[in-house]
Formats: sequence, C-alpha cells, structure tokens
Amino acid sequence: MATVSRGNVKMTIQSIRSTKWRSLLTMLGVIIGIVSVVMTVGIGEGVKREVANQVNQFGDDLITIRPGNAQQDNGKIVSNADLLFGLNSLSGLNPKDLGAVRGADHVRIASPLGVVPGTVQTSDKKLNNSLVLATNSDLPSALNRSVRYGDFFSGQDEQANFAVIGRHVAASLFDENVPLGRSFTFRGQTFVVRGMFDEFKSTPLSPAANFNNAIFIPYQVAERLTGGSTQMYSVLAKPDKPENTRATVSSINKAMLQAHGGQKDFSVLGQKEMLAASGDILSLITTMIAAIAAISLIVGGVGIMNIMLATVTERLHEIGIRKAIGATNRQILNQFMLEASILSLFGGLVGIAVSIVGVFGVRIYTDLKPVISWQAIVIATLTSLAIGIIFGTLPAIKAARKDPIEALRHE
Amino acid sequence: MSLIEFKDVSKLYGFGDATTLALDEVSLTIEENEFVAVMGPSGCGKSTLMNIIGLLDRPTHGDFNLKGRHVSKIRSGQRAKIRRDTVGFVFQSFNLLPRLTVLENVALPLVYKGVSVNRRNKLASAMLERIGLKDREYYYPRHLSGGQAQCAAIARALINEPSIIIADEPTGNLDSANSRLVMELLSDIHKMGNTILFVTHNPELTRYATRVVYMHDGAIIHDEQTPLGEVAATAKKIMFTVPTKTEEDDLAGVSILMKSVPDASDTEAHHAEKAQKPAAKKRKSSKPRAKRTTGAKK
Repeated sequence: MATVSRGNVKMTIQSIRSTKWRSLLTMLGVIIGIVSVVMTVGIGEGVKREVANQVNQFGDDLITIRPGNAQQDNGKIVSNADLLFGLNSLSGLNPKDLGAVRGADHVRIASPLGVVPGTVQTSDKKLNNSLVLATNSDLPSALNRSVRYGDFFSGQDEQANFAVIGRHVAASLFDENVPLGRSFTFRGQTFVVRGMFDEFKSTPLSPAANFNNAIFIPYQVAERLTGGSTQMYSVLAKPDKPENTRATVSSINKAMLQAHGGQKDFSVLGQKEMLAASGDILSLITTMIAAIAAISLIVGGVGIMNIMLATVTERLHEIGIRKAIGATNRQILNQFMLEASILSLFGGLVGIAVSIVGVFGVRIYTDLKPVISWQAIVIATLTSLAIGIIFGTLPAIKAARKDPIEALRHE
Repeated sequence: MSLIEFKDVSKLYGFGDATTLALDEVSLTIEENEFVAVMGPSGCGKSTLMNIIGLLDRPTHGDFNLKGRHVSKIRSGQRAKIRRDTVGFVFQSFNLLPRLTVLENVALPLVYKGVSVNRRNKLASAMLERIGLKDREYYYPRHLSGGQAQCAAIARALINEPSIIIADEPTGNLDSANSRLVMELLSDIHKMGNTILFVTHNPELTRYATRVVYMHDGAIIHDEQTPLGEVAATAKKIMFTVPTKTEEDDLAGVSILMKSVPDASDTEAHHAEKAQKPAAKKRKSSKPRAKRTTGAKK
C-alpha cells in the first residue's frame, strides 16, 4: 500500500471533487444508510437510558416482586409482562404475599401496588382512562420520593378516603396547580386529595406505569371498594441497608416460596434485573430496526459500485497512461479502491453529521431523547469504510486488469 | 550485449479469419545511444513495435531481450516495474492527465516508484527546469501550448531516468515550430546518452536520427544509418514528392512512402527480397537488421 501516500489521497480527492454532483449522489446512498442506522440505534439507546433513569430514580435498592415467573437464562430475562411493574400480568399477588415479603429477612418496608378499575369524576369532569393505584403508606419511601405538596396517607388514615395524585392529574382533573383539599368521586365514594407528587421521570414506552397520571388510594379502602378482590400486581420492597439488596432478594424468594408451597409462580427482581429485562427487549427491537435500516447501506454500496464501474470505463484512457508510465496492476487497483473508500467514508461522515443534526431535531420536536455514542460514530465510520472497500473491489479489479494498449486507444 | 534485441518477433491480433499480422518475424537490434526514426505507412506495425519494446504488449512469437534480459514471458507486475524504470513513453496526443498540474504530471511516474511527496516535487521541479518549463509548474495541461505540453510529457518520460525513450509520433499534433522545439529537446536528451526511438511521418525529422528504420506490413524493409543533421537518403526521396496519394495508390493501399523506397512498391509478395539489394549496399555495420535481409545473406 505504498501508493496510498498523501499525494495519492490528494489526487483521489481532486478526482472526486471534479465530479462534485455525481460524487454527492453516489454518496447519498451511504448517507441515507448511515443516517437511518445511527438514528435508529440512537433513539433505541435514548429510550434505554430513559428507562434506566426511570428505574433508577426509585433507588438502586428497590426490589420488585411480581406475579409470574420471569424465566432467566444465562443472565437474560425474558418477560412477557409490562416493562416496569408488571401491571399487565393476569394473575396477582395477595395480602398473604405482602405479609411474607414483609416478614422476610432484611426487608425494611414493603408496599403493594394494585390497579383499581373505575371512572374518576369531579362535579364537572370525568376521567375515563384513569389509573387508580391501591397502595400503603410505605410507597413514598419505597419510591424514594416524598410528596411535594401536602402529605401521603399515614398508617392511621389508611381506612379513610384520602388520595394522593400525580402531577398530571392535577391539570387533567382539576385545572389547578395544587388541588389540595379538592375532592372527586370514584366508585360511588368521595375522595379528598391530600397530597401531590412532584413530576416523575417518564418513559415513552411504558405509559401504563406513568405515576404522573396515577391516583393513589389506600389499599384497605380499595379492598372495601372491590369487596376484597383487589389484586396486587406487584409489591415493592426495600432492604434495611442498600448493600443488603442481594441478600434481601434471596430472603424474599425464600419467604415467598414458603408462602406459595414451593411453587415458583412469582419473580423477585432487583433493579439490575429490571433493567436487564427492559434493556433486552429494547435491544432486540433496536437491533431489528437497525438491521432493516442496514439494507439501505447495502443499496448505498451497490450505488458506489455502479458509479465506480462507470468511472472505470470513463477513465480508461487515464488507466492506459498510468500503466504506460509504469503503474502496476496492483497500484491501479489501489487507486480505485482508495477512491471508492474515500467516497464511501465521506458519505459516512456526512451521514454522521446529518444524524447529529437529526438527533437535535428529534430532541426538540418529540419526547424522545436519542443519543449518539462515540461507539456509534466509530462503528458508522468503519462500516462506511468497509462498504467502500467491499463494493469498490470489483470495479477496481476491472480497472487493474485492463489491457494498457486498449486503454490508451480509448479516448 | 545490445540494448534491444528482437529475434523473429511476430504479433498477431484477432482470431480465425479476422487475424491480422501486425509484426511479421521482425528481427532488430538496437544499441545503446542510438537515435532511431521509424517510418512507414499507417498500420504497418510501427506502433506495435513500439508497444512491444515499451513492454506494453507481448509478442505472440519470437524472443525479445531488453538489456540482455529475456522479457517476453515475465509477469505483468514485473513488466510494469521494468517499464517504469527503463522506458519513457511520449505520445502523439501528449497524454498528460488533465486534472493534475504540470508538476504533478511530471512527478507521476515517481508515485508508482514510492517516492515521497516532497522528493517527488523536488525532482519534478528540477526536471522541468532542465526542460525549460519551470515557470509553468503549476499550470494545468490545458493552459500549455502543444509544444510545451509535449515537452512536459517528455519531462515525465525522463523523470525516472530511463535508458530508452519511446516516442510515438511526438510531433504528430504539432506545427513545425513546436515540432522543432520537441525534436531539439529529444536531440539534447540523446546527446546525454539516452537511446531514443521515435515514429514519424515527416522525412525532414530524420535529420535528428542516427538510424532510420522503414516498415511495411509488419516487416522491416529497410534499415539505414544516417549522419546526424542530414535527412536520411531514402527519406529524402519522398520529401518533395506530391504529398497526396493518387487514386491508384489508394486502391492498392500503398502510400507515397512505399513508392519511394527502392523497389519496395512493386508487389507485396516480393518487396522484401527486392529491398535487400539496396539495403545491403548501404549497410556499413554488421548489425543484424530485418530478418529477411540477414536470412538472404546466408
């Protein structure tokens, strides 16, 4: 590769610049391919981070107990449940399980989460798609969140019709910033708003678990409303000390197994497993979309091959001259390979630049927060280079094999 | 050891009925520091001869030794290297790369030798200075006159200090003033010890040559030494003839040149045998020439 010196690169760039429009159109395929792959991966990565943020805002030591056994193979969790709190699972946990969790070693607090179906209305408004969650007074400490305005219901008033709302409910139900003391009707009973959480970080992929839209009512009230058939969709637990998290997971597992008569029809997940579960699914989706987008990269490569083949014919005379003054076949091959690679590499770099602009656009105009990591940039650059080399080979071989006399005769 | 040695070299093009014989068992020896003019009608195999000597083409049959090395069968990569180091090509249409400056064009052969950019530019610049084009270094070929472009092309041919310069009608696209310029330059190069082969249709230019080779239908029909500065004796005969061919000549496919070569224009079949007589008279050295000439001597 001695011929790939600075002078040669300069010569190649000159030849690309001399056909600016055509080079740009040639690069377009690679540009579009790189942009689609980088953006897809960027959005996927962004969502993954959002989920991680959302999960992490509740603290590293949060343990989630969900019904159904999440199968665990070599560290990966395959779950058919909702990404965050298993709210879509068909079977539930029961108060006995809550007791078992509470009784397990190292458990400091345990808080149930159950969905109570029904319509929420005020005198002038009606919320059909409301999310009413039944829980107990430990929820704020389980979620690492204190109530911003007012109070959460405490042990004594868990029998009373109190409610604590998420930030967005205030706007959608009451048209008021801090609707403390306001009331609403749910399942024929009147509830008084006692407190309001500050905004939770949300993720676009899991709106069902978006606590900003939730109304929290005491679990015992919910039991009364539903006649004791409220199902717990998950139990949130915290260990006494953060470093005991792993030990707590196993002790809860043991206690639950005992309560279920040795039947493992539940899962106990630390934050790491939670992230792994959601991360795996997201990675799968991202990889699939990126793979489809990568097809456009191949199309871009074919475009480069096409133009390079045309260029070889067009520059036959030049090939003849170069051979006459002593270029070996290998050196001609290198020249055309270099040209295809630079063309493709430029396309890749332009694609990365467009992606960065595109990411800003997406950040501004949508809720998504895509990120482009340096790894993505490096991989995109190398990929575009590789495409140039792969698809430049055939035209370059063709150029190198031309008979010098025939080539010289060609004008 | 001769610089160039052709032994019964033939070159065939095409297949079957379409086969054409571009070179017909040519034997030719060229010593170092000769300045050889090759003359002959179009299609007589001059260019094929040049291409084979310049290692752009391979003979179909026969042996070709360059500097004592048998080169007709070696691999193309090796041929390219020998071409790069021993042969400089000058073409009728200059063949400078239009997108490169004069300097870059002249430096191009050095690129393939793996010389660094700085050294390349230095050498090319020095070469252009020698040629007298120093002030045109950063011009593009399209900004040069024909003569200047050809001089730049000669500079490119010279940059690797080759022992042989092959010029295929170097003055074909030039007017007489520019032709003179180019030929003077080649003449200077010859004086410095290079061997030069050039193809020309202009008998006047044989003044510069030390030897003139006439070709017809792929064979060398006449080969004479000529003193520098004088038009070759045979070429002189066609200098003042009517420059256009007669209709008969066209029909017969014979050019004016062939008519003027002694006895060569009679019939196609016997031209070689008849050409040997005057050629033998003029021969002063014992160098082997056209195969048929030497063959007849035995």
